[in-house]
Amino acid sequence: MLENVCRYPSEAVVERLREAERGLETAREKEREVQKEIVEAEAMVAKVIEEIENPRIFTVEVLYDGVKKPFEVRIEETVKHLLDKAIRAFGPLPTPHTLSLYKDGKELPDTQTIKEVGIKPCDVLLLRPSKVKGGV
Amino acid sequence: MIYRLTQGMLDTTFEHFRHCGRGRDECQALWVSPWENSEAITRVVHPMHVGTFGGFVLDDAWLNAFWLELGDTNCGIRVQVHTHPHEAFHSETDDAFPIIHRPGFLSLVIPNFALGPVGFDDAYLTEIQTDGSWRQVPIESRLVMT
Repeated sequence: MLENVCRYPSEAVVERLREAERGLETAREKEREVQKEIVEAEAMVAKVIEEIENPRIFTVEVLYDGVKKPFEVRIEETVKHLLDKAIRAFGPLPTPHTLSLYKDGKELPDTQTIKEVGIKPCDVLLLRPSKVKGGV
Repeated sequence: MIYRLTQGMLDTTFEHFRHCGRGRDECQALWVSPWENSEAITRVVHPMHVGTFGGFVLDDAWLNAFWLELGDTNCGIRVQVHTHPHEAFHSETDDAFPIIHRPGFLSLVIPNFALGPVGFDDAYLTEIQTDGSWRQVPIESRLVMT
């Protein structure tokens, strides 16, 4: 009986196919890694945007009698805490209970936090008396 | 600190008092100077306010806008000046509600709704002390006309 010497596809072609399949698998592995890196990078971008839009620590300016001074604030600290810092920085101001912080024309409640009253980075807050009056 | 003031600024201050107060309401003016040369008063500001025979109250929105303007122009308030119907002195209300609370800040009270001669006759000048109290000071020790 004669051995069939004609093989189709040939061994050489089959080997090329295997190589090609291995290359494809390697490329798919790389694609999965790159996809993972893309997801991680997207998460990082989202996190940084969140930090930019809602920072936890930032600087504001307080204005008293024509002079501006910068103050670093944390979103969880109270308006009173910032008020006390400002009064000390502009001091001596011997009657601190008469002074308040104002933003956008409104007096800020002492007990609320920086976040609650909507103070943002680079805001200019006014340190001024709540009332100015005189009378006999 | 001794502040320098021109006769024209004092004239302007009395004009505000007489025109706004009309001899029947209290009125206020503010003397302002730049921080880089704070001794020289450069401006008389007539605040938006409600005045009555026995007192005045500054407008809150005006005060916010003026505060920002002071920052933009790098100026500070050196002296608050207001009228009384009769005698010049500093009342409890005057003591408690000044526009500036810093030691050395001056408050000048002009008697008789400023209807008398332009000047400091019978006027009363007082200054915030380091403990927050007010103490009368001689006018010539703090204000000089130029």
